[in-house]
Amino acid sequence: MDYDLGPEVAELRRELRGLIDEHVPKGYLSPFTDDPADLAVAQDFCKVLADRGQLCIAWPEEWGGRGASVWEQTAVREEMWAAWEPRGAQYMGVNWVGPIFMRHGTEAQQQKFIPMIAKGDVIWCQGFSEPNAGSDLAAIQTSAKRDGDGWRINGQKIWTSYATMAEFCFLLVRTSKGEKKQHGLSIFIVPMDAPGVEVRPIMAMFGPHHVNEVFFDDVWVTEADLLGPLDHGWDVVNEVLSFERVGIARYARDERLLQWAPVALGEQWDALSDEVKSRWARMLIHCRRARLMAYRVLELQQKGTVTPGDTAAYRIAVTRLDQESADVLIDIVNASVLESDEQLRFKREVEEHWRYSLSATVASGSTEVQRILLARNLLGA
Amino acid sequence: MQIDLTEEALEYEATVRRALEAAGGDELAPRAAADPEGRAALVEPVLAGLGVWDLDPTGSVDELEAAAAVCRAAGWWGVAYPVAERLAGRIVVDDRKPQAVVGGIDRTWEAVTLDGRRFTATARPLAGLVRKHAYVADLDLTAVDGSADPVLALVLPTFTLLGMVERAMAMTRQYVNEREQFGKPIGRFQGVQFQLTDAEVERAGFEALVKYTLWSFEAQQPEALQDALALRVAAIEAADLVFRISHQLFGAIGFCDETPISWVSRASVPLRRLPFGLADARSQLVASLGDRGLTGIFSDLFA
Repeated sequence: MDYDLGPEVAELRRELRGLIDEHVPKGYLSPFTDDPADLAVAQDFCKVLADRGQLCIAWPEEWGGRGASVWEQTAVREEMWAAWEPRGAQYMGVNWVGPIFMRHGTEAQQQKFIPMIAKGDVIWCQGFSEPNAGSDLAAIQTSAKRDGDGWRINGQKIWTSYATMAEFCFLLVRTSKGEKKQHGLSIFIVPMDAPGVEVRPIMAMFGPHHVNEVFFDDVWVTEADLLGPLDHGWDVVNEVLSFERVGIARYARDERLLQWAPVALGEQWDALSDEVKSRWARMLIHCRRARLMAYRVLELQQKGTVTPGDTAAYRIAVTRLDQESADVLIDIVNASVLESDEQLRFKREVEEHWRYSLSATVASGSTEVQRILLARNLLGA
Repeated sequence: MQIDLTEEALEYEATVRRALEAAGGDELAPRAAADPEGRAALVEPVLAGLGVWDLDPTGSVDELEAAAAVCRAAGWWGVAYPVAERLAGRIVVDDRKPQAVVGGIDRTWEAVTLDGRRFTATARPLAGLVRKHAYVADLDLTAVDGSADPVLALVLPTFTLLGMVERAMAMTRQYVNEREQFGKPIGRFQGVQFQLTDAEVERAGFEALVKYTLWSFEAQQPEALQDALALRVAAIEAADLVFRISHQLFGAIGFCDETPISWVSRASVPLRRLPFGLADARSQLVASLGDRGLTGIFSDLFA
């Protein structure tokens, strides 16, 4: 066995931390704030990464990437998520929209969209969930109907992150009625400024601009906007979800905050109760556990032997960790008097982490869905 | 990055498991309970025939991983013999109340405390029913000069415990697919499925941590003892949950001598409680960490 990720990964981490220190203001907590400067931070940071060839590090060189190893890609995900994802909305384009174009796009789509993503010039949103299709995603009702040499899209999407900022929507619609509800679905690329597209932000406890409703009223698209084969969009969605389910390195942010806690508290650390310290230590173990489970999934993916159950077990572990670590961190904050700049920054990050972690077991496939997937795997059902 | 035991170690594990099956498999534990003094004879020669006692886990990485694999195979059958303790070459003890699961085995053991103090240890005779003592004997300790590393002696028994946890999961998965109530296998009920998935998450996490910790020892990481303590916390938590869920899903039959789950479950108890249980393991870890977190991606970020 060998758990050393090697000198290249260590060097990459050092580089990324240096760039974050230089280009991301202390206290940055994502682009989802009332301050437009936060969105600008993310966009500018993406340009810095793009100029250095580090935005799409995982991509093949022919598309502007570096062909980085899976462990280098992992280090990028960990460092970025730990630092409140300073790529902002770009991670979506980089992590899965670009790769999906590489696999399923027409040559024209590849030439148009992939360089845009590689340069950090475009923000995407994902039009999947609907009011009556959440965990049961294949039950979507938004439809595209033939109209002359194109299609008319009508329907509503909900919980759409980045919709207020996005230039394009990666939209799942029903194009026909198949034998099963997973049949007859297709993906269209829809410009967000197309006539008939309306975005309504949903004010929520996570902060403004985080989730939105998107309405499609007779929106016109053409054959050229279709991504992948007509009526077989479900296969593309499954690829997207598999990218998402291992994509977010939640354990990295959890670990960074837990490691920061004793330093931020200083002398007050010793005064914490044994009970709180014991829970803190337990969460650090669970961070390690989740990270190792993620690494196992990645290794199995490389061998081509990963099962939906392996990914689901990791997802369950990491999302529970996110919430439990947030609870412990909040207790640490509550038990202390935090006054210095660093302490107040720590407190703000913990508060934000706690609020955001509430959604961890819901987003990108709820824990219940993960348990169903895992149970199927365990019982051969 | 190589996150599994070597192919050779895994093959060796399969061989040991088959040999133990041929020697009695699930019958080994009941036979040992019927004749505690003769329990060594059920296992020692089988493992000797496969060269297990010739392994030197500190001699090479291959032998270390082979030893870990043997311990897991022994755990799978819940064998009533201190395989891991023999392979580690020593037993970790709490010298305030020295005990180990070595009762009825005629050997002198090397014992070590968590802080590295060395002793020779002999087991006092067992008294009463196996059901009550589970081969856990009080030890007489005699101090020896010098110090010794307790890490391997903490980690190898944890591989045995992992084998037991994996067996419990395998048996429970099979049982819920076969046992019918209300006209269908109980595994079709979501309430049963979700308990099983909780157990599987613990099992998978335990497996990930035990392998990492073996590597930490193997690679002579300076924080290997801390890693072993962290593993011990996670291992006990995982085993507690998996066995509780297994018993729940087996129902009353799972407590009966006729079911292997009952034997594997009881064999796991001393491994969860010795040399110290969950509360002590947590306290030891917290004391060891102080104000520095467990080694991880960001442990040097705030140093």
